Amino acid sequence: MTPRRIAVVGAGMAAARFAHQALALAGPGELDITLYGREPHAPYNRALLTGVLAGRYGATALGLPTGGAAVRAGAEVTDIDPAARTLRTATGEAARYDALVLATGAGPLPAPVPPPPAADRPDADGHRAPERHAPRRGVHVLRSLADAARLTEDVPLARRATVVGGGALGVDAARVLAGRGLRVHLVHRAPHLMDRHLDAGAAAVVRRGLEAVGVTVLTGREVTALLGGARVTGLAFADGGRHATDLVVLACGVRPRTRLARAAGLTVRDGVVVDDTLATSAPGVYAIGDCAEHRGVVHGRAEAAWAQADVLAARLSGARPGARYAGSPRFLRLSAGGLQVAAIGDSTGDSTGGDGSPTDTVHLADATRGSYKKLLLRGDRLVGALLVGDLTGVADLTAVHERSEPVPRDPLHLLTTEGALQ
Amino acid sequence: MTDTRRRLVLAGHGMAGQRLLEAVTDRAPGAWRITVLAEEPRPAYDRVHLTSWFSGTTAEDLSLWPAGFAAEHDIDLRLDDPVTAVDRAARTVTTRSGHTVAYDALVLATGSRPFVPPVPGHDTPGCFVYRTIEDLEAIRDRAAHTGVGTVVGGGLLGLEAAGALREMGLHTHVVEFAPRLMAVQVDEGGGAALRRRIEELGVVVHTGVGGQAVGAGADGTVDSLTLSDGRTLATGMVVFSAGVRPRDELARSCGLPVGERGGIVVDTRCRTADPHIWAVGECAQAADGRVHGLVAPAYAMAEAAAEDITGGDGAFTGYEAATKLKLLGVDVASFGDAHGTGDGALEVLYSNTRAGVYKKLVVAPDGRLLGGVLVGDAAAYDLLRPLAAAGTPPATPPEQLVLPTPEGGAAGPVTLPDEAVVCSCHNVTKGAVRAAVSEGGCADVAAVKRCTRAGTGCGSCVRMLTTLVDDELAAGGAPVTKGLCEHFAHTRAELFEIVRVKNVTTFSRLIDEHGSGGEGCDVCKPVVGSILATLNPRLGNSVHILDGEQAALQDTNDHFLANLQRNGSYSVVPRVPGGEITPEGLITIGEIARDFGLYTKITGGQRIDLFGATVDQLPLIWRRLVDAGFESGHAYGKALRTVKSCVGQTWCRYGVQDSVALAIELELRYRGLRSPHKVKAAVSGCARECAEARSKDFGVIATSAGWNLYVGGNGGMTPRHADLLLTDADHATLLRTIDRFLMFYVRTADRLERTAPWIERMEGGLEHLRAVVVDDALGICDELDALMARHTETYEDEWRATLEDPERLRRFVSFANAPGTPDPTVRFLPERGQIRPAREHEAVAAR
Ligand SMILES: Cc1cc2nc3c(=O)[nH]c(=O)nc-3n(C[C@H](O)[C@H](O)[C@H](O)COP(=O)(O)OP(=O)(O)OC[C@H]3O[C@@H](n4cnc5c(N)ncnc54)[C@H](O)[C@@H]3O)c2cc1C
Ligand SMILES: Cc1cc2nc3c(=O)[nH]c(=O)nc-3n(C[C@H](O)[C@H](O)[C@H](O)COP(=O)(O)OP(=O)(O)OC[C@H]3O[C@@H](n4cnc5c(N)ncnc54)[C@H](O)[C@@H]3O)c2cc1C
Ligand code: SF4
Repeated sequence: MTPRRIAVVGAGMAAARFAHQALALAGPGELDITLYGREPHAPYNRALLTGVLAGRYGATALGLPTGGAAVRAGAEVTDIDPAARTLRTATGEAARYDALVLATGAGPLPAPVPPPPAADRPDADGHRAPERHAPRRGVHVLRSLADAARLTEDVPLARRATVVGGGALGVDAARVLAGRGLRVHLVHRAPHLMDRHLDAGAAAVVRRGLEAVGVTVLTGREVTALLGGARVTGLAFADGGRHATDLVVLACGVRPRTRLARAAGLTVRDGVVVDDTLATSAPGVYAIGDCAEHRGVVHGRAEAAWAQADVLAARLSGARPGARYAGSPRFLRLSAGGLQVAAIGDSTGDSTGGDGSPTDTVHLADATRGSYKKLLLRGDRLVGALLVGDLTGVADLTAVHERSEPVPRDPLHLLTTEGALQ
Repeated sequence: MTDTRRRLVLAGHGMAGQRLLEAVTDRAPGAWRITVLAEEPRPAYDRVHLTSWFSGTTAEDLSLWPAGFAAEHDIDLRLDDPVTAVDRAARTVTTRSGHTVAYDALVLATGSRPFVPPVPGHDTPGCFVYRTIEDLEAIRDRAAHTGVGTVVGGGLLGLEAAGALREMGLHTHVVEFAPRLMAVQVDEGGGAALRRRIEELGVVVHTGVGGQAVGAGADGTVDSLTLSDGRTLATGMVVFSAGVRPRDELARSCGLPVGERGGIVVDTRCRTADPHIWAVGECAQAADGRVHGLVAPAYAMAEAAAEDITGGDGAFTGYEAATKLKLLGVDVASFGDAHGTGDGALEVLYSNTRAGVYKKLVVAPDGRLLGGVLVGDAAAYDLLRPLAAAGTPPATPPEQLVLPTPEGGAAGPVTLPDEAVVCSCHNVTKGAVRAAVSEGGCADVAAVKRCTRAGTGCGSCVRMLTTLVDDELAAGGAPVTKGLCEHFAHTRAELFEIVRVKNVTTFSRLIDEHGSGGEGCDVCKPVVGSILATLNPRLGNSVHILDGEQAALQDTNDHFLANLQRNGSYSVVPRVPGGEITPEGLITIGEIARDFGLYTKITGGQRIDLFGATVDQLPLIWRRLVDAGFESGHAYGKALRTVKSCVGQTWCRYGVQDSVALAIELELRYRGLRSPHKVKAAVSGCARECAEARSKDFGVIATSAGWNLYVGGNGGMTPRHADLLLTDADHATLLRTIDRFLMFYVRTADRLERTAPWIERMEGGLEHLRAVVVDDALGICDELDALMARHTETYEDEWRATLEDPERLRRFVSFANAPGTPDPTVRFLPERGQIRPAREHEAVAAR
């Protein structure tokens, strides 16, 4: 029997997990998996990049197992032909496949600033053409090891750094840069930090935590332009204000990399649209991870990417051909030094109960310890939870939320049980 | 005969007035000739508990005028005859009936009057205020003829009135101008919680609107109230409760200074600008510039004035507003700086919308409690208010102070310092109460009340007083309970029997049927977890300790199947049965340690401990360990740890038996057995005892004829040599005896009791033990054998099972959202070529 050939486009976190799981589940010689990655590295744990920036990890420490799949690093896939079941790479390689998995991830969004000259505009995957128009020096994103290395090199050249975007990545990056001795400003458009996941009270705790390590937080400020010549020297705000800086980190969100899928005529909305079997609109083509859109959601987190990878691996290896992916609960965890944040499910209480039942909250906050915990309940179900500072019970809460178990009679119990750090 | 006594005239016989009379007659009996001029048709009564009149408390019950008081002190009380004028020059007062009374000292205690907003129709029949028994009588009469009542004012009194209307069966509205209820006392969150609770009772709350006009029906009485937002409420009565104004009209008309917002100006002795005139209670503006609207400060002012009048040295300098009430059945309390206005004030909050509870404390940066708001559950008020007044940081973490008190009440007044004032009406400290019991010989609350006056004011401290007195009385010989904890009156052994005999399969059932109910605590949960773990195979439960309810019962170590270390990292110990390990095994462990950057150490139990793992790494590490054939070493559990062995006959010149083989067999046989405490064992190949078997819970030493079995040994802090249980036993007897010994121990030992103390405690000691496990004196050996057989049959490696089950794995994965994200509180520094945890100061510096 000839092994079934599976080509994976992208050699990131989803790809590695898929390969590892599929090869572990399949019988020997049943599958032949090749990962094509644009980056010059074998798959690594991207979620730990700020740790690299902090000097906590060397680049090699982050490697992820691939279960012995072939990895073509530095081989960007330039074309796919779902009808012929072939692909081509920038290195000139052409390959046939039986099944194709798109795991191209997401690329950082540019700053919300007026578009640079056309040639310098990033392509749909967030990449600028480097030879023609180098981006302004001192301006960074943080998505890859290369980004981290470039940023690390730049840090000694700067005294003042500004992080644009107050989501989890921005908060973490700001903290790390402050830890490396820079005077750091964190600029966020919304009235409070991490607004997609936190309520104002929790965000205030995070803000105090950042301020405690020397980060100045500017909220409700929109950046409209990066100033300077070859090297960035400052930012301009929508309200007319300006702010001097030597280094900018853009952490304004990411966008799924969908160029290949579009070009091949696959259905793409925000991400490559997949069903519960992770199949795209083209036969034999699947998509997982940050590039995939499932039931209208692009998750953009490692855990969801891995859950999708696991389901697809179970299907394609034949171990559980009927496995389905039913979505991942909203979840965010940030472990940034003293800043500990977990947001589970509908942590801001935005959703409404289908049955019209009100959302109850159980709230425990202790500003003297910088802890802030909140449960959102509807009926006897936990619809969301927020933990800042003290993550006691996060594992139990996640389990209760995920399995939609009835909460205990006294839901407070969930916030005060013995936890991991006690 | 002429009366030489000086003349004291009291204008107003309310709560402050009566207290003044008591204080003056107490301090200077017979010195004053006292005339009381009262406006109301009855002597002073307890206005604070006025509302209880609706529920059957009679005017007599409320009266503060003790029978015989007038006669005893020769007091001339004239009811229904208010003072209408004061002639300061002549030092006389004139009453409505035309009498003139001369005074040497005049005390104004005229209280306050309800403020009625001058809206059109405010005097229509069917409009009321809420201040006197007569007001209540009128309200009750009207209520009998209408179905709807509206209270204007959502403050303390307004809500009390609303509660009364509702009790009388009226559909009740509350109209409040401010954006929230009780705006003075509680903050926004508290107001919201209060509103929710009140609305649940069917009271309709309108905030942010005022009453604009009262409408009258054909009969000329109230039939509607128009609101400032244009809506009109159909209502048969309106109760105005929009605040009070001090009754300072007498002072105004005789030229005494009054405050800007009303209130007769007095100094710290409660003297007005006229040295012959004092003012106390709600009619006065105290020395702190405020008009106090509560009974405690009114009493304190009365005391201060009485001191001054009788030549003493009293002072009223101010009063930290504190209130605790039950409004519509909802507890509401506030004290101190409830709004957190102080510099750098920090908030500590607990709220639960479902329970309608909102509790907030305001804490100074140095940890002192500054104030707080409690809605829905004000039980902690008695404790918190004095803590706030104490001015020193409480010993209890503030979060504990806002959390609901567990049934059985953990945080009691024990935590209060002796200087803390428990009765603010009478300024009685906790120390004074304790002294009254321990030194003053008071044997009950009533005696303490008599002796210290504590609890005789507003009465809000009586509950705490009771606890204090009880505690103090009990201080000599607290009864010793042998129960496990507050939830179970049983020992571990008793619980084991209950679970075993009654087949109780879950903790919830056990605590509901045999304990106090509730959620349990960190003492009983792990104990029951361990009992269930032993009995699960028999009960038909899952045997995996992270399944279902069992997960929540485990110790932290069990929670993640790893040992928590000092910096929050975990250590990993794979089982190395008997200490025998292949070179491949060593290499695997070495590689894993290297790949995950773990510190490695050979343990005393002859295995290898890998330190410095984060929770999310645990499954990754174990994946590799399990793949290489390793199992959980249960180093985290109260379970069998290791069976240590010497190299034995195979290699050692002295050895007489294969100690390694036996050690491995024993370790595999008992691995995973959950027990009251950890269990350690060893096997030595000859009497030279290189494996130190006699310091173990059970130890086996080879003899030329078989095996000697020793039990109940212990190393550590209380070393104990194990006792000899069997001599020259054959292999089968040895195993059977150890089986029974262990199961008997598991079944009957106390929580955290090692085998050594267990045997020492056992009646009959070693002899009894031998009788039970060797000679089956209790007839339970069949059962012990069966339990052990089940254990060995159903044993599964917890880590393998965990890795195979995504549900169980999730516990680890979800802990770190991006699996692999290390816990940043966990920090390491290099030392001797490996890592070690950063110390406290290093950890901070490393951030
Ligand atoms: C700094 C940082 C911190 C994060 N922290 C967390 C966290 O704490 N928790 C969490 O859940 N998530 C976190 N994430 C998100 C998480 O890393 C992603 O969800 C995860 O990496 C998604 O995996 P993926 O395989 O879909 O995409 P990626 O890991 O981005 O991998 C996609 C790979 O495909 C390559 N590629 C793209 N197009 C092509 C092509 N045409 N040919 C070949 N290769 C191609 C890309 O170069 C890339 O290497 C973090 C992300 C970053 C950047
Ligand atoms: C329904 C209700 C509930 C309350 N609940 C609480 C509570 O829970 N906690 C708390 O601390 N406080 C409470 N209070 C407030 C408390 O009752 C007052 O603070 C206290 O009664 C003040 O005492 P006083 O002597 O100053 O005034 P009052 O008790 O009002 O006495 C003043 C007396 O003077 C009479 N008077 C007035 N003018 C003259 C005159 N010219 N000549 C003669 N007599 C005159 C009045 O008729 C009245 O009898 C409550 C009040 C009410 C109405
Ligand atoms: S106990 Fe006896 S058999 Fe074992 S190592 Fe020591 S001397 Fe040798």
